[in-house]
Amino acid sequence: MRLQTRSVQNTGIPTASMADIAFLLIIFFMVTISFEVDKTQVGLPKTELRIEIPKKSAYVSVTKNGQIRVSGGDEISVPVPGPQEVLSFAADVVRRDPSKAFVLKADREASYRHVDGVIDALKQAKAEVIYLLSDQETVESEAGQ
Amino acid sequence: MKITRSNVSDEIPTSSMADIAFLLIIYFMVTTTFAATRGLDFSLPKDDDTPPMIEKEESVLIEIQAGGLLLVDQKAMPLEDILDYLKPKLEINQTKPVIIRPQENAQYGDMVDVFDELRQAKDKIGIEIKNISIPTQREIDMFWF
Repeated sequence: MRLQTRSVQNTGIPTASMADIAFLLIIFFMVTISFEVDKTQVGLPKTELRIEIPKKSAYVSVTKNGQIRVSGGDEISVPVPGPQEVLSFAADVVRRDPSKAFVLKADREASYRHVDGVIDALKQAKAEVIYLLSDQETVESEAGQ
Repeated sequence: MKITRSNVSDEIPTSSMADIAFLLIIYFMVTTTFAATRGLDFSLPKDDDTPPMIEKEESVLIEIQAGGLLLVDQKAMPLEDILDYLKPKLEINQTKPVIIRPQENAQYGDMVDVFDELRQAKDKIGIEIKNISIPTQREIDMFWF
C-alpha cells in the first residue's frame, strides 16, 4: 500500500513585492508633492466658494501686523517693506508673464488698510486676476462664529 | 584530505528593502505640509486708465465698518440679508454694480465674507452678480465724486 504524501504548505506571508509597492508609493509622493513657496503663518478667512488656484502663481502674503512677503511662484517668499515694493515686484512679474495669477494670502484679522495697499499695487501693476486664498467654510465654523 | 566548500549566497540581500522604502514614505508624509490651494478669484479691470464712471445712485454700496457692521446703501444689515435686498434690484438690472467699500480699520476677513456671499448669489437667489467692485482708497480719492 502506498502512503498518502503530505503537501507541504508555506506558512509565511509573501513579502517579496512589499518593496515594489513601497517604492511606487514614494514615486507617487515625489511626483505629486508641490513645495509651498510661502510658509507665512496666517489665519486665512473662511469661504464657502473656493476655486482652484493655478500652480506657480505669484504670492503676496500679509500678516495680522501688516508684514508683507512676496514670491514670484518659483522661489521662497521674501519680506518687503511696503506696498510700493509690492508694486515694483508685481510690475516685474507681469512684464515677464502678463497672464500670471496673483494669490493674496492675507490674515483674516489683518487691518484692511494693509490689504488695500497690496490690492492697489497689484491693480497698478496691471495684474489680471487675484485669488483671495481661503479655507473651507464648514457648518461647525459657521456655528462657532 | 577533506575539502570543505564554503556556501556563499550569490543573491543580493533585498529583505531590508521594504523597511528602507517605508521609512522614506514616513519621512515624506511627516515633512509634507498641506498647502491651501483654493480661494476666491477676483478679476481686475482690463488695462485702461479711465475706468467707467458709475453714478453713485445706480450702484449698491456696501460699507464695512471696523467692528464688522455692514451698511448697505446707508442701512445697517446683517450679512445674510444682503442678497434678499439685492434680488429685486438685480431682477431689473443684472449688471447693477455692487461696490464693496471697507473702512481702512475694518478687518480683511469681513470683506472676504461679503465678497463670498455676493459670489454665491447665483446659487442662493438664482441671479449672478456680474459687476462686483472693490475700489481701493487711491481709486476712491481719484474717481469718487
